[in-house]
Parts: sequence; structure tokens; C-alpha cells
Amino acid sequence: MAAHLGEFEQLVLLALIQLGDEGYGISVRDEIHRRTGRDPAFATVYTTLTRLADKGLITSRLGEPTAERGGRRKKYYAILPAGRRAIQASLHALRGMSHGLDTSWGTP
Amino acid sequence: MSADTPPPALAVWLLARILPEEFREACLGDIEERFRCDILPARGPAAARRWYWRELFRAPFALVRAPRQRPRSAGDSSVSLLVADLRFASRTLRRRPSFTLLMVLILGLGIGATTAIFSAVFPILFASLPYPDADRITMIWEGNKDGGRDNLGFTTWRELTDGSRAFAATAAIGGFSGTMTGRNEPEQLVGQKVSEGFFRVLGVSPAIGRAFNAAEDRPGAARVVILSNALWRRRFGGDSAIVGRDITIDGNSFAVIGIMPAGFVNVLNPVAQLYTPLRYDITLPYACRGCHHLRGVARLRAGVSVSTAARELDGIYATMRRDHPADYAGVTLFPVRLQDDITRAVRPALLAVLAAAGLVLLIACANVTNLLLGRAAQRRGEFALRAALGASRGRVMRQLLTESLLISGLGGALGVALAVVGVRGLVALSPAMMPRVDAIAVNTSVLAFAVAVTLAVGVIFGLVPAWHATRRDLHDGMRAGSRRTAGGSAMTRGILVVSEVALALLLLVGSGLLLRSMRQVLDVDPGFDSAHLLTVQIQSGGPRMPSDSATWRFFDQVLTSVRALPGVTAAAFTSQLPLSNDFDGYGIHSEKHPNPNPSADPSAFRYGVSAGYLETMRIPLLRGRTLEPRDGIGQPEVVVINQAFAKRVFPGEDALGQRVRVGDPAAGPWRTIVGIVGDVKQVSLAAEQSDALYQPEVQSPYGADGAMTLVVRGTGDVSALLPSIRQAVADIDRDQPLIRVATMASLLHASEAQRRFAMVLFEGFALVALILAAAGIYGVLSGMVTERIREIGVRTALGASRRDILSLIVGAGMRLTGIGLVVGLLASLLLSRTIASMLFGITATDLPTYFGVALLLLAVAVAACWLPARRAARIDPVTTLRAD
Repeated sequence: MAAHLGEFEQLVLLALIQLGDEGYGISVRDEIHRRTGRDPAFATVYTTLTRLADKGLITSRLGEPTAERGGRRKKYYAILPAGRRAIQASLHALRGMSHGLDTSWGTP
Repeated sequence: MSADTPPPALAVWLLARILPEEFREACLGDIEERFRCDILPARGPAAARRWYWRELFRAPFALVRAPRQRPRSAGDSSVSLLVADLRFASRTLRRRPSFTLLMVLILGLGIGATTAIFSAVFPILFASLPYPDADRITMIWEGNKDGGRDNLGFTTWRELTDGSRAFAATAAIGGFSGTMTGRNEPEQLVGQKVSEGFFRVLGVSPAIGRAFNAAEDRPGAARVVILSNALWRRRFGGDSAIVGRDITIDGNSFAVIGIMPAGFVNVLNPVAQLYTPLRYDITLPYACRGCHHLRGVARLRAGVSVSTAARELDGIYATMRRDHPADYAGVTLFPVRLQDDITRAVRPALLAVLAAAGLVLLIACANVTNLLLGRAAQRRGEFALRAALGASRGRVMRQLLTESLLISGLGGALGVALAVVGVRGLVALSPAMMPRVDAIAVNTSVLAFAVAVTLAVGVIFGLVPAWHATRRDLHDGMRAGSRRTAGGSAMTRGILVVSEVALALLLLVGSGLLLRSMRQVLDVDPGFDSAHLLTVQIQSGGPRMPSDSATWRFFDQVLTSVRALPGVTAAAFTSQLPLSNDFDGYGIHSEKHPNPNPSADPSAFRYGVSAGYLETMRIPLLRGRTLEPRDGIGQPEVVVINQAFAKRVFPGEDALGQRVRVGDPAAGPWRTIVGIVGDVKQVSLAAEQSDALYQPEVQSPYGADGAMTLVVRGTGDVSALLPSIRQAVADIDRDQPLIRVATMASLLHASEAQRRFAMVLFEGFALVALILAAAGIYGVLSGMVTERIREIGVRTALGASRRDILSLIVGAGMRLTGIGLVVGLLASLLLSRTIASMLFGITATDLPTYFGVALLLLAVAVAACWLPARRAARIDPVTTLRAD
């Protein structure tokens, strides 16, 4: 059975898919901001990314340090097949729950 | 240029401490990249730095709100562990909201009371005065042989200044008051006459203009004045062009030469609005050695101690006494640090009140510890479970400590809020004589105090339950479940209840003693009838009062008009009024018993009065006659004295018909004593009886007094007479202001303000202590009933009566209360002498007070025991036993 996803976890996973299956803190945050208008703190994004990695839904690799990052390395995250299955299960559940609602409600 | 701007280093450092190690580098890197590449070019350095700080402040919330559910590893930073602990603690506390609220309230009360009192006491007793090198400023007094202290005569001050090497500057200070006219309506102003060194002693200079010079401080010099900042703003609109112009006070022209800085506080006279030079020299009649009416103040040279200065003054004084034995009945000349001097009168009351607040805090802590112990006993199962899952003892203790710190933190926040409100109340309640009231505020040092108290409280009351909860093998708890045995904490909880009772009793004894003192003081007969008496001080002066006779005529006209007003039954004037801080004493010299050293003759309060004063005040005439209208100018000089004075000066003789001189022993007419009247309290109700002499004001040896107090006796509410009195005075001369309007009853009330201040606070604290102690007893017994519910069920099943169960529980409560009472009584006997100086008419070991408060506490304790006992007695054995 696929892992249960929190709402913000869903947003982060969907952002990674939208970004071509790989992204890092800034690109994930900006994708969520662009599509939902939310302004999450970087710490929030990373806490969620870390949790998703702990659940085995995404993986990470380290990039090269750059000057504009104060000599710190980037951490890229990529979605794993389990992550794909989990977000599909979440979306499926949402569709199932909203199916047949009045059209004025709209469907996802 | 802005491309070089780095992110704020402190924020980076803090963020690095907050973020968990696993994504610290990546997250810091992202934030810095966003900062440099996007925010900085778009918004500029200042806004970018603000953005960075905002990101820092959002981080902890992000970490708390998004818990990571995975086992902890050694790589976790201690901050993220703390965050996890805090999150857990806040969840635990939220689950029992009423329990949490109760503890926060109790601690808030304790911390609030202590903080509010500390904020009042700190600036008065401990913070240094607002002058450069303030500990070098001292007062100089002449000590008399009664152990009291006198002001200095000008000549004494001059000689000590010339002879001393210990002081960098000295000054003599006298009072000043006058009516300013011109421009706006006339206004009575008070200030100080100061010798030229005054501002050097304080180390403060005028903000605009200059200080006085030596040439301005001589008799006959041109009059100059320095204004306080407040007066300058209020009367002259803060216009600096006033410096160099003249103002008119009492018809004399004064050149304004300076304005004091806005922040200048004059602790020697906080209400002083202006300063003029003293303009004395030693040839003046009122500059004599025995004319004790100037205060001496001095600044020590750097490196000279107060005791060195004291030794030097001893030497100077010995020489003065040798050269002028007749002038010095005193025994010593001594310096006192200014701060000690101005706080001398209020120090005992403030320290006692601070201690009382500290006791309330202790009781609050005992109470909360007790509540937490009770909770910990119920949570043993939970701790055992956590231990089974791998939590170490330290980890569980740490969790409990986090909880107690969170509670104390909330309590501290509430306490500071209460303190902010409380301080306003304190200032409103504080006696008029309290020094430095302006400096009382919740400021940084007070907040630091509150934080320190909060942390200490959180750690102390957290450690006891944490230690108890984790002391035994945590796995035991699993086996016993949340079971009903009272456990080892019962002893600790008992001790806590005993200390609460003892501390509450201590506070109750203190407030009981103060309350009884207050009763006793208010029962003191002031010597006159204070009901339906209105007092109004009227200042006369200015060009329309060119002579004594003009002044006397003015007062006489006022009296005639006021006596004719409807609602007035009697009215009279006096130069000083009882219980109003008036203080006007003169040496009285007997013709029959001349003293080789006249300055050792007794002094008495001198009342220059109009005819009818004694009758208006209803001061009883004991022998002879009172002063009458016929005792006027040019008539035989007469005086009336009080009984105490008659007994002192003429023991075993008839004082009537004797003759005395007032003030100067060698000159002036001998005045005949024509009457003896009852004693009147002048200084305060509690002060020992003072000698008094009444004489017709028009026969005063010193000419007309510019400020006289009108006393008016009426029917009903006498303050309603004020508008018509004001009109009557204005009809005669609209330039003469009315000042200090008060009913005699309110003066009587105010004269005990310091005692009342301490009493009200003690009572408030004692009440809180009583409630907390009752809550403590209730909490422990209630917990005991819950824990022993099965035992009680068994007892009932085996035939124990309702009565047996009641006495079991009440007996347990009474044992604790009894021990607490004994400990509290012993502690009270030891400690109550610290408030002895505030007691009146009773001793610090007043038995009725001790018995009374012990009974009160006992009654409250019985009530607190009764509720849990009744619950225990109603336990149905069938239900409790079936639950097993």
C-alpha cells in the first residue's frame, strides 16, 4: 500500500514532477509559489523534502559549491517510482471523493 | 556595490544553529542564493537584510509545524531536540487546558507580584541616583543628643566648608516659594534657594544659559533665577529667548539666567520648579549657628570615603564646640550618602513588602510543584512506556523540565503583564513622601529580573517532580499501571503543603500586625475634631502687600468674608496646620528658669493664629483663656501653650502667668502664658507628643507670614464650600492664589500613607497566600483520595463508617496544617521584628494577632479538607472494587 501523504507533501511531489522529476529548494519553492500563490519558508520546504526522502519516495544528490551560495553545495531531489505511485494514489483518492459533486463545485 | 553585501552574519549564525544538520548546508545555500541573486538586486541591501531575518524567524515555526516522524539520530542538533521537546510539551499541556491554566495563573500571580514590587524597590533602594558619580554625594547633618538630626545654621555650614578638605564642593539649601505674576494668572511656585556650589555638588549644569556665580550669592546681589525644564515649557512655551529676560516673583524682578535639562531630577526636592541663589553671609541675623534651617549637601573628592569625611567633620565640629559652647547643644556633624538619606524613611517598608512578595512567589512555586507531582504520579505509566521504548532517564527528565519551563515561561509572561498593570497601581498607592516615584517603571533591569525569576522557578519546580518521576526503575510503573499507591512523592508533597501553610501564616501574621497597628493609629485622638473641617492655604504677596499690616489686613478681610458665607460655622487662620507636613519649631526660653546654654532649651511648634483658631479646631481649653480679638498689635504679648509643654517646662508649678521668649533668647518681649490647651498631633498620629505654643499672628516676632492656612468648619460636605471661599478671596484680591486645598479628614488619612501602603500590599499578598495554601491542601488531599480510592473502598466494605472515612481524610489534612502552623508561628516570632518599625501600639509578638491568624488559617484548612473528605466518604465500595 502506498504511503499516506500530507497536503504539503503532495504539493512538493507534484512540484518535483512539474520540474522534470528533479529540483532543489529554490526551484521547488518557486514552483509551489507560482502555481498556488503560497510562500513557504525554505525550512518548511526542506523539512518536507527530508521527510519524503525518509519515506523512500524521493532521493537526493549533492551538486557543486558555488560562490553565490556562500560556497555551499546544492542538494538536488529526484522522485522515485514509489513517490510516483504515492502521488497517483493521493490524486486517485481525491478524484474518487470529488466524483459526482455538483458541477458548480468543479472537479480536480 | 550592493552585490558585495553579505547576508547578516548574526542571522546566518542563528539559522545554522536552528536548522537540522541533514539539510543545513543546502537550505542555507538556497537562502543565500536567493538573497544574492534575486532579493538584493531587486530590493536593495536594507530590505534584503530584513528579508533574511524574516526567513530566520520563520524557520522555527516551520520546524515545529512540520514534525518529522522518524527516529532521532546522533547527528541531530540540540536545538532541534529542544524544538521537539517543546512541541511535545505544548501538546501535553494543551491536552489538560484547565490544569495548565491553573498553574500559569498561580505562577503569573507570584512572578507578577514579585516583579511589580521589584520594579518599585529597585530604582529607590538600589539603582544609582541620576547624577555623575552619585555615590560621592552626601548630605551633612548636625546630630542632636536625642539621636535625631538637625539642619545646619549658615555659619556652621560656612566654617565646615572652609575647614574641610574631603569635599570637592558643598552647598547649603533652603526652601523658596513665591507667587509669579505678569503674563498669565498668578501662580504659586516652589523651588530652592541654593548656595552657589549646588550644581557642582550634583554634577549637573543648566542645559541653556549658566549656573550661579559667587557674586550672585551675596546679600543684596541682583536677583537671578534658573528655571526647571517643566516650568520653562509650561509657562514660557520652551522659548529659549526667556534666558536674559526678567520675571516677577512676589513683586521682585528676577533675571532668568538658565534652564535645567529636561532629564534633570532633583531628588532633594522633586517638585522644585526654580532655583535662586541663597544670598547669605555670616553677618545676617538668620545666618546664626543655632538657626538650623539649611540643608547641607556635598560632593566628596574622588577617592575620599564617607568615613574619612566623617572623621574630618568630627575634628571640625570639636573646634566649633570648643569656640562656641553656647551655640552647639548638638553632639556631632556627620555625612550620609545621599541615596541612603533619601530612602531612609521608606527602606524598612519597601524591604518588608519585597520580602512579602518573595514569600508569595515561594508559595506559588510550592503549589505548582505540588500540582506537577500529582500529575507525575498519574503519568507514571506514560513514563514507563517511554522508558520501554528506549528513552533514557535523562531524556524523560529533560522532557519534564521542558514542560515546567514552558509553564513558567507562560507564567512569567502573564506575570510581566500583571506587573505592568500592578506598577501603575503601586505608583497611585505610594505615599507622597516616597522618593523617586518617577523612576518606577517596568524597564530592562526589571524584565531581566522577571526572566531570571521565571527561569529559576521553572528549573526548581521542574526538577523535583522530574526527579521523583524518574527516581525508581521506570519499568516498575508499567507493572503497577497508573496504580493507586501514593508512592514516595507523598512525603515530598506533604512537606510542600507544610511549607505553604507556614509561609502563608508568616504573611498573615505580618498583615495582621500591620492591620492592628493601623486600627490603633486611627484610634489615636489627634487632639482636635477633624470632621467637617476644610483647610485652604492662601499665599499673600506681591506689590499690594508692601507691609506686614497690609498682609494682616488682607487675611483679616478674608476671614470676615468667609465667616459670613452660608454653611460656615467657624473659621480661623493658622501659620501651620497639624498633619500637613508643616514643620515650624522655635526654641522657647523661660524667664524664671534661664538656661546657661539657651540653645538647649526645649523647642515647640509655634502656631501664629487668628483669634478663634482653638475654637474652630475644637482644641479643648484646659485652664486660663484662649486667644481673643483683643490680643492685637500694641496690646500685651500673650501666648497659649499645650499641656505637654506646661508639664515639661514648669513641672510642679503653675504655668499660667509665667513669661517666655520665642526664638531669640536675648531679645524681644517676654510673653505671658494665659492659657493651657490639650495636646495636638502635629507630625503624625503615631509620632510622640510634641510641645506647642500658640500666639496671635499679629504679635509674631518675625512679622507677617506670607502663607497662612484657613481652617473652615462647616456643616455637611465642607468641600462644597470651596467655590464660595475662592470667590470671597478673589473679591478681596484676585492676585492671591489658593494652594493646598484639603479636608482635614483627608490629611489625617494621608499622614498614615506609608503605613497604609505597606498594609494594603501585605493584605493583598496574605490573601493570595491564603488562597494558594488552601488550594495546596485541597490538591494534596484530593490526589490522596484518588490514589487511595481502592483502599477506601475496601475500608468501607469492611465496615468503616462514613464518619471514619471523613476523619481519616480530614485528619491527614489537619496533621499537615498543624505542623505548618507550628513552623509558621516559630518563623513569625523570629521574623516579625523586621517590620517592628512599622508597628504602632502593639509589639511584634502580639499574641491576639498570632492566635487570630492561626485560627483563620485553620478554618480555611478545614474547609479545604472537607471537600475531598466528603468525596471519599461517598465512595461506593462496590463500584471501586469492581473496577479492578
